[in-house]
Amino acid sequence: MDDWLIAIIKVVGIWVWVLLIAVVMTWVERRGAALIQDRPGPNRAGPFGLFQPLADGIKLFTKEEIIPTNAQKLLYIMGPLLFSLPAFSAYAVVPFGDKIILGGKEIILQVSDVNVGFLYILAIGSMGVYGVILGGWGSNNKYSILGGLRSTAQMVSYEVPLGLALLGIVFVYGTFSLRDISLAQQGTFLGFLPNWGIFKQPLGFILFIVAAYAEANRVPFDLPEAESEIVSGYHTEYGSMRLGLYLFGEYVNLVTISGIIVALYFGSWHMPYIDLGAYLGPISWGIVSFCIFFLKVSFFLWMFVWVRWTLPRFRYDQVMGLGWRGLIPLALFNIFITALFIQLTV
Amino acid sequence: MAKPVVKKEYTLSERIYLWEILKGMKLTWGHFWFNFKACWRPGPHTIPTCWQYPEDRTREISPIFRGEHMLQKDDKGREMCIACGMCAKICPAKCITIKKAKRKEGEEDKYAGKTYPAAFEVDLLRCIFCGFCQDVCPKEAIVLGQEYEFARYTKEECLLDKRKLLLNYRRAKEEGKLRPPRKRVPVVPAPPKPEKAEGAEAKEGKAAAVGKAKKKPVAKKKVAEKEE
Repeated sequence: MDDWLIAIIKVVGIWVWVLLIAVVMTWVERRGAALIQDRPGPNRAGPFGLFQPLADGIKLFTKEEIIPTNAQKLLYIMGPLLFSLPAFSAYAVVPFGDKIILGGKEIILQVSDVNVGFLYILAIGSMGVYGVILGGWGSNNKYSILGGLRSTAQMVSYEVPLGLALLGIVFVYGTFSLRDISLAQQGTFLGFLPNWGIFKQPLGFILFIVAAYAEANRVPFDLPEAESEIVSGYHTEYGSMRLGLYLFGEYVNLVTISGIIVALYFGSWHMPYIDLGAYLGPISWGIVSFCIFFLKVSFFLWMFVWVRWTLPRFRYDQVMGLGWRGLIPLALFNIFITALFIQLTV
Repeated sequence: MAKPVVKKEYTLSERIYLWEILKGMKLTWGHFWFNFKACWRPGPHTIPTCWQYPEDRTREISPIFRGEHMLQKDDKGREMCIACGMCAKICPAKCITIKKAKRKEGEEDKYAGKTYPAAFEVDLLRCIFCGFCQDVCPKEAIVLGQEYEFARYTKEECLLDKRKLLLNYRRAKEEGKLRPPRKRVPVVPAPPKPEKAEGAEAKEGKAAAVGKAKKKPVAKKKVAEKEE
């Protein structure tokens, strides 16, 4: 009974937390964009305009729901659901802290420690593309179809370097479980570097982050949306809360990807050089590890915004060329080097 | 002719692109950090390039900005307009209506000219703020001020009558926002007359007079004198 309760609390808690971050991210995105472009941004609703996402949410909820006459109704309605549900469920295997001991019971701060965590993420992540392509197809709009097609091609091509980059991490740590990988990143490496994935897999990290930006449909790979060429692509015809689901799903994806980056490459909840867990009590260490993890996550979330307002969009053939001719050979090379090292040293 | 495209040879670091991305990110971070610090300054005008309009009205307006109209008075407090009707005539939007009246005995301290406008109406809803009226006015009586908040609740309020125009002048004078007097165009002495047929010469003189009249009434007078 207790286990059930704990599981439900963890699921609901992390779900609400991730949604909250996604909501705040919309505000961060707009204010960050504004400050980078020398304007103040939304600053009217509440202190610093912090209530702006609430106002946006109310607006989206109260808008009329329109289904275009010639749209395929079933697909049109399914699109946002198929996009947002995988986004919401992908966080299940990503840790959000070490562990907390309450009443003599050890609780892992992770919804479920699946021993094939990677495969779950890859599988769920590639489900999201169905939402995009079905939404684009069901809208019966040429821009939407173009957006959906672009998204399909892009996500399918970038899945390969993403998976290959993750394979390098698996070689190094010898496990698929994200919690085990996080635990293995404690301490130092070569005597002076923190024992983090980025120092063991620098090339893998670059490949992963580039592929992750493409998977999340973010600038500079935001071709499926491409406001200026195909009128925001697959969600051109969407309005009210269906559009809201697409947008939310995108931000939730960002949180998940940042969480994966932190868990795999940036030492998860570990501080560099200091093992705080040895000094703090079990409850306070749980809270502190949660805070450290999300501080790192928020840095990567900010980086998504930062990169978005720095880089222009790639041309479509450039995206494909980079994916197939640049990233995949590099990823194979990375795997080769990693395998060689492990073969020679271990 | 189109500019020929010169293909640049990229260096290795440019082709790898990651270093260039970092350079770009450094630039955007500079902007972000500058404006982030600016956000904490007191006052509504924090980010230098942005004026938070309703709260922050400190933005400087050019002294020759073309805002709401006004009818000027001279130093003795007399209305300068002589109701010649030139502004009404040149107005492209046809938004000025003037009713002319003759000055009576004993009104010399009220009106500067021999005639004055009994009614002077400017329809702000029609006006395009081109400023032709002030350019053409021989007495510099009608000018466009610096007032730029025209929003009114009814159409009638947008119709500026003579009382409101004079009120605009009084307010502008109190706030010290009067338009600087127009710059006089220096009069160029007429070139020595070449010997020509009389008819052609007369025509030329007339054309010159008409052309200059729009810009400078003084010049017109001088040309007229010379013709005499």
